[in-house]
Amino acid sequence: MKQFLLHLDETESGRVKDADRRKVLDDAARKRRARKAVEALEQDNFHEDPHADLVMSKKVPKFADSNEKPTRKKKSKSAEYYKLRFRKTFAQLVEEDVNFRPDPPNYLSAQAPPSKFPDRHFCAVCGFPSNYTCIPCGARYCCVRCLGTHLDTRCLKWTA
Amino acid sequence: MPETSCYILDNGAYTAKVGFSTMEPKVVPNCIMKAKSERRRPFIGSQIDECRDASGLFYILPFQKGFLVNWDTQKTVWDYMFSKECCPVNFNEIPLIITEPLFNFASIQEAMTEIFFEEYECQSLLRINATDLAEYNYRKTHKNVCTIVVDSGYSYTYIVPYIKGKKFRDGIRRVDVGGKVLTNHLKEVLSYRQLNVMDETYVINQVKEDSCFVSMDFMNDMEIARKKGSENTIVKDYVLPDYTTIRRGYLRDVVRPDEDLEQQTLRMNNERFAIPELLFHPSDVGIQQMGITETIMHSLNACPEEHMESLLENIVLYGGNALFPGFRDRVYNDVRAAALDHYDVNVTVAENPITYAWEGGKMIFRDPDFYSFCMTKEEYEEEGKALAFERFDI
Ligand SMILES: [Zn+2]
Ligand SMILES: [Zn+2]
Repeated sequence: MKQFLLHLDETESGRVKDADRRKVLDDAARKRRARKAVEALEQDNFHEDPHADLVMSKKVPKFADSNEKPTRKKKSKSAEYYKLRFRKTFAQLVEEDVNFRPDPPNYLSAQAPPSKFPDRHFCAVCGFPSNYTCIPCGARYCCVRCLGTHLDTRCLKWTA
Repeated sequence: MPETSCYILDNGAYTAKVGFSTMEPKVVPNCIMKAKSERRRPFIGSQIDECRDASGLFYILPFQKGFLVNWDTQKTVWDYMFSKECCPVNFNEIPLIITEPLFNFASIQEAMTEIFFEEYECQSLLRINATDLAEYNYRKTHKNVCTIVVDSGYSYTYIVPYIKGKKFRDGIRRVDVGGKVLTNHLKEVLSYRQLNVMDETYVINQVKEDSCFVSMDFMNDMEIARKKGSENTIVKDYVLPDYTTIRRGYLRDVVRPDEDLEQQTLRMNNERFAIPELLFHPSDVGIQQMGITETIMHSLNACPEEHMESLLENIVLYGGNALFPGFRDRVYNDVRAAALDHYDVNVTVAENPITYAWEGGKMIFRDPDFYSFCMTKEEYEEEGKALAFERFDI
């Protein structure tokens, strides 16, 4: 997953070999790459839990603290209990919704449809409006300088 | 027997707004965070304020794509919220208003009902969409008939038409762009162009909040951002926090190289407006959906024509993205341009876009019919969860 370059000036050594440059990504690979980019926008973290090995939940204050109040007699159930009790993935929930709300309006039908306006294109390197398309991978670029950076960095290096 | 106050929890996917109707709400991060710098403890909700070094924070969130799926995390954060450390409450004595997402899934709705009646022993419960509270807030202050509520939050942006106080479900539309997509995209472009900040969601979210604005003329701003020197009125530097002298970063003018202040900065140029632009053009980042204003018009076209006038006159914006400078004006300009000339267009941004729905909760509690919207513990014990589906219009 480490396809991100730290600094552009560190990349000179990484110039794509001539043989690679003649390769062209097929349509399926381009779509896969585009889908991955959109999926990445949904991620909560891009690094691992720094303390995954530690059991921290013991330190968590329990609602049971307020058991001190005389009005609350009942013993609180643990967070773990509710995790197991209500465990469902997002995909399962969407699938179940087909039975719960079979007809629109529902979660899926509410999604905004594609725009009627044409897509706009921006340089994959600098973000300014672009007029050119990279032949090997289909990325957009705006000038020779940005094309050079693109070829040196991301063009065919992404593992799509 | 009516109570003098109620407890309101607008349970957002990023922040929860929580408190008694007699007080100001607290805005609490609805998550658990872990810091690289502190091995000993996780930070629950507002405990993050005690964290000395917020670099490389790791997030554990109860919500995924706008829905509550990680119940252990949510339970932990709720326990914190309801404890002495945050905003203690006894639901035996005080009614609870809690918000849920539109089209919330059936099993999540059941879980909500169960946990609040059984675990937290609620006496009276009102489960409601945040947009319903926002609409109530707007209608009580404007005395209008119809409203379009635009809730632009963390997971997505919802456009919800209300006709005579009732949501018009056929007109509800969702744009799958919210604050999270914007922050993640900003992280991605800064990491590629300048400095690897992929692990710095917390900091880059602040960069976004402090630097970004909604453009009134996107292509023209692109031309300005291309310029060099003083003609470029957009480019700024963002001074990053170092957690010794700077706890929160800030935006400053670009200084000449010879007066370098030795602070670590990020250059913010077209990123300042190209990031919020995704709300208006999701396809700029490959999400093949209409943007906010096009979706407002799409939603309007699904509504009965006789209400078009009132709907266009009462568009209200709230949620974290409504804090971007220019957000209201852009929505107004775009809707004005798209709507037929003989209609008036009015767009209002909530005075406090974060707490707008919560404030609506405060107002609905004073509604003479408030208790008829709620479900009681006795009703739950007699009729079970099925009644909740009838009573609450989620
Ligand atoms: Zn370029
Ligand atoms: Zn390429």
